[in-house]
Amino acid sequence: MTIKKTALSLSIAASLLASPLHAANWLMLQGTEPDSAAPRIKMWGFIQTQYQKDMSDASDADLYVPPKLIGPNLNSQSQFNINRARLGARGTGFPLDGKVNYFLLAEFGNNGITAPGGGAAQITDASITLNQIKGMRIRAGLFKTPGSEELLQAIHVFDYINFTAVGNQLLLERLPNREYTGNNGPVALPDPTQLSAFDRPVAAARDVGIQLFDTFKSGDWEHSYAIMFGNGNGMNFGDNDDNRDTYLYWSSEQVYGGKGPRRDGLKLFAWSQTGKRQLDNTNDNTHNPQEFDRKRSGVGAKYLKKGVRVSAEFIRGDGMIFVGPDKATFDINPAVPPGNGENGKADGYYLDAGYRIPGSKWEIDARYDVLNRLTDDATLPGGPNAGKGFEMQFKTLTLGAQYHINKKSRLNIEYANRDYTAVDWDSNAGPNANLDGVAGRFAIQLTHIF
Amino acid sequence: MKKLIIPLTALFYVLAFPLVQAQSTSDAKPFAEQKVVLQISDPNPFKQTLVLNVANNLIKHYGQDQIDIEIVAFGPGLRLLFKDNSNVPRIDGLSGAGVRFSACKNTIAGMSKKLGHAPELNEKAIPVSAGVVRIMQLEDQGFKLIKP
Repeated sequence: MTIKKTALSLSIAASLLASPLHAANWLMLQGTEPDSAAPRIKMWGFIQTQYQKDMSDASDADLYVPPKLIGPNLNSQSQFNINRARLGARGTGFPLDGKVNYFLLAEFGNNGITAPGGGAAQITDASITLNQIKGMRIRAGLFKTPGSEELLQAIHVFDYINFTAVGNQLLLERLPNREYTGNNGPVALPDPTQLSAFDRPVAAARDVGIQLFDTFKSGDWEHSYAIMFGNGNGMNFGDNDDNRDTYLYWSSEQVYGGKGPRRDGLKLFAWSQTGKRQLDNTNDNTHNPQEFDRKRSGVGAKYLKKGVRVSAEFIRGDGMIFVGPDKATFDINPAVPPGNGENGKADGYYLDAGYRIPGSKWEIDARYDVLNRLTDDATLPGGPNAGKGFEMQFKTLTLGAQYHINKKSRLNIEYANRDYTAVDWDSNAGPNANLDGVAGRFAIQLTHIF
Repeated sequence: MKKLIIPLTALFYVLAFPLVQAQSTSDAKPFAEQKVVLQISDPNPFKQTLVLNVANNLIKHYGQDQIDIEIVAFGPGLRLLFKDNSNVPRIDGLSGAGVRFSACKNTIAGMSKKLGHAPELNEKAIPVSAGVVRIMQLEDQGFKLIKP
């Protein structure tokens, strides 16, 4: 009898373990629904409300640059903000044939998606997935592009409040304005104008296009691929040129168990994105854009088991690097060689670790990230600063904690210690006159998913 | 011709499994102290998980040989017994523990009309003439009806 009961328990446990667990597989989690178990419509969403305070000092001239101010509005060093308020629906319109499913999501919060251009709401995802072909699912519409784990993951389960510098500057694409836009210099507070001069939403790692993808199981390993072709125009529904972006993604994950976004496993991944952008970088009152390549790639790993998390990712960028944070354009001065972001190169990485304290609702997190921007920048040919370029290094150490109120609600607290430097320049000289004062940034955020 | 396919498909199900329909439950678990029929007829996918959880918990509580469980699916709940349902591994596990799964033929016929073809069912599913009738028959045999 005991043997029978044991065998039964093992049989049922095995059946539970064998259930499809696509939760931490973002391609499947965001793009598909459970077979024959999806509702016609599932309304869902989340709200994130936060307070941030930037401790940076103004320059000697009493002026501020973006990393010393709180985004997306960049006109204050501290603020309460409803940075995300998203409402959406997903499911399958004809439940008897769950091979077709949809995903719709809109943003009503105040962030880089809605603030540029003064918008109040923005559709961030609107896609249809066809699952009829085994090994080649098809997703079409507007959705997250396959790429960096930091951005591909669902933002409402992101372990931090603010992105890494490399994620923010290299991957959260600022699409060029239609017309040439000059540099915005440092400002005094209170600033009557918005410091960021981008007039369209941040791409937020999204594009309109078509993606072929699927996941294959092999023992306790799960291998996934994605190939996507998109407009390369962010969340704008249409295109602005005849160029297409190509996105490639691969991941292999050893699944240890569990379910949900924090499924235990070891995931290895690599990705690349290539495309072209049109940029008017000539200050001649004429719309005469040129085309520039935009390439991004990365490799990384993420390990999560029994509350212990370690992740790392190395990212490279080539072309169309906006030369903020103290400027809103892609070239500090198109008339001279240094500071050229449209043809510039950059690289960076992040190392992240987290630990869920056993028996408690607390989790502690630490992340170190580095961005080397314009690594091959030219140098000034003459004058007192001859030989100097505009390569900048952004180093950030973030210490955080999460209090998991329940499965759908949590509190994030974090403090980021930042060290930003223009590597060719002495302290308080050139760009460092503005970057030297960049200091800590405190943030606290409440998330509720419904 | 196309109009004939659907009724013929439905007729196939009716004719193909008459013996299964007439199958007695008395031999399934001769020593069972408890007999339970679980109804799944809800479109909400969460109910699929719930009904499987209930079956699982009943077996854990009473023991495999001490309880006889049949899950009867009809209406929108029949999706639980679709061949590609994401709960197939759990159904396999419970079937191995002696749980029976009955699929309503009336629902199959209705769905066939909407789909244009018969839905592919889990091989563990046993078609019965009508889900509600099956439940009534089981109640007459002493089964307790539970609708999670």
